Amino acid sequence: MRFLENPPRYLFFTGKGGVGKTSIACACAVELADAGKTVLLVSTDPASNVGQVFNVAIGNKITPIVTVPNLSALEIDPQGAAQAYRDRIVGPVRGVLPDDVVKGIEEQLSGACTTEIAAFDEFTGLLTDSTLTAGFDHIVFDTAPTGHTIRLLQLPGAWSGFLEAGKGDASCLGPLAGLEKQRSQYKAAVQALSDPALTRLVLVARAQAATLREASRTHQELADIGLSQQYLVINGVLSASELKGDPLAMAIHAREDLAISNMAPVLRDLPLDSIALKPFNLVGLNALRHLLNEAPAPDALSTSSIELIAPSAPNLSQLVDDIATDGHGLVMLMGKGGVGKTTLAAAVAVELAHRGLSVHLTTSDPAAHLAQTLDGTLENLTVSRIDPHEVTERYRKHVLDTKGANLDAEGRAMLEEDLRSPCTEEIAVFQAFSRIIREAGKKFVVMDTAPTGHTLLLLDATGAYHRDIVRQMGETGVHFTTPMMQLQDPKQTKVMIVTLAETTPVLEAANLQADLRRAGIEPWAWVINNSLAAAHPHSPLLRQRARNELREIDAVATQHARRHAVVPLLTEEPVGVERLRALENRKIS
Amino acid sequence: MKTIQIFDPAMCCSSGVCGVDVDQNLVTFAADVDWAKQNGAQIERFNLSQQPMAFAENAVVKGLLERTGQTVLPVTLVDGQLALAGRYPSRDDLARWAGVQAQAAETATASCCAGGSCC
Repeated sequence: MRFLENPPRYLFFTGKGGVGKTSIACACAVELADAGKTVLLVSTDPASNVGQVFNVAIGNKITPIVTVPNLSALEIDPQGAAQAYRDRIVGPVRGVLPDDVVKGIEEQLSGACTTEIAAFDEFTGLLTDSTLTAGFDHIVFDTAPTGHTIRLLQLPGAWSGFLEAGKGDASCLGPLAGLEKQRSQYKAAVQALSDPALTRLVLVARAQAATLREASRTHQELADIGLSQQYLVINGVLSASELKGDPLAMAIHAREDLAISNMAPVLRDLPLDSIALKPFNLVGLNALRHLLNEAPAPDALSTSSIELIAPSAPNLSQLVDDIATDGHGLVMLMGKGGVGKTTLAAAVAVELAHRGLSVHLTTSDPAAHLAQTLDGTLENLTVSRIDPHEVTERYRKHVLDTKGANLDAEGRAMLEEDLRSPCTEEIAVFQAFSRIIREAGKKFVVMDTAPTGHTLLLLDATGAYHRDIVRQMGETGVHFTTPMMQLQDPKQTKVMIVTLAETTPVLEAANLQADLRRAGIEPWAWVINNSLAAAHPHSPLLRQRARNELREIDAVATQHARRHAVVPLLTEEPVGVERLRALENRKIS
Repeated sequence: MKTIQIFDPAMCCSSGVCGVDVDQNLVTFAADVDWAKQNGAQIERFNLSQQPMAFAENAVVKGLLERTGQTVLPVTLVDGQLALAGRYPSRDDLARWAGVQAQAAETATASCCAGGSCC
């Protein structure tokens, strides 16, 4: 593995949920420890199975791993850190200020920024406090701070304004003011990150177009702010030797090959490692030691007898039946990037249109060739597309040109960075969609995106005002709805959560659901996409992987979803009307 | 010299960019505060989501919140007395309360309008 050659002191693994960062970080830490180095493994994975992997309870303190000499581990819980921060701010005024005021404060502090900053605060100690980490040759992190966080910390305005004076202007950095470390420490942490002699960043991706695109974005963003020493690892690649004549396996192999050969030139220039797809779940030391080696898998099971998904598991077509009965409405597909929201939105739209219903499909997928191939193919179907990058840029420019026009250079830099927060894109895209949403009173509108509960609650800060109108209008009997009310009403809006049958994606989806519920929106259904279990593969390796999915599918069915559907991984990309319909009915050739 | 205190509503950034739209009032007001401070005014700002204790410990502000709720914010106190509620003060208001030279206020206002963006 090239990313393990001459490793510097700090190793960060970054990538989107479900690509296997934590497993690779664990395997890397074990490898270094086996080579005689003292290693500290730091995990921020909310699904942290690091304890499970090593069979030790770890938690928020440095804990020696008895079974691996030289290795210690530490689990950081960014959500917990953010909660502790909220409690510190809100605790003293609870019961003193009115309840709705307290609730408003808590919502302001519930955004992704707060969690991100709280996590960075935890890293800072490890990057700068020599007494804490003096005994370790290497510190391995299974995550990395985002470009947004680091850029904020690099802005001089951030420090001179809020953090030093303790009052006055706050930006997305606000949460840091409540944290106890000193400016010099944050500065030292940022410096350590951008020193190639100290820090190596390993981008982890899968051999899929979407995750490789995301990896190249992350690469660019972090390279721009000085994290120059980067490596790329492509995890879970299906080896040619595992195809065994299975048409699905051959199709996956061909698709992965294509994705790798089409990846961005900036990624191709990075030192690359590729890790083969393994049949086993990465639990236990033995499995971990095999992850980075090409040795054959241990205890390969006989898989022919594995019972895969029961034919009774609901398919997408059955969900569409329920949606169709209302005759019109808004259908929003929500989930992390790369789970297939756009494909499923297209499938739902095509199925509704086939039933003679009028449908408008609208997508924000940057590579929306799928939606384009549909335009004009069905009589009742219209397709439109919003480019998130374009609308966000327009929104940023609009804000800077109008509202930021008479700010000084420092104030302007601050506003610019605030506008690069993840919330901004969500808001800009959602604004662009809101015009189309109004059509949902007459026909079906299917969208491949939805705002998070946090954004909705912030948008509804105007909602206090809406509620006032509701009260007044209620007496006069005039009928009207606000956008927030439209989203909360299951008769008008159905939110479908899209996920994959893997641990981290299911956990992320559950978090999305909790966030929506906070905004009074109950997700209507869950869709498990790209399921191997539902695709009935023949290759022993894929059958083993399929069996690993069953536990996750069961968790969705019994713990998370009110109703759900399972959609198989297909041999061919579902482009065009016919293949999309096959997706619905699970008729797989 | 009088002390002006502004009690802001709960917001995660005072530029308001995290909201549905950037509030021009906030951007303008931030610039006005900056101007008044440079002219010697004593102004403090408190953000409900970051310094809620300041709201709880001030009898006037706490009373307003209890009676009217969050819509009463922003609240401006001058030497502890209620001066304005429900909207941000203008640059002229700030100048008057702080006893800053009216001349200075006019000059600054003029130059701002010459910029063509705030009026």
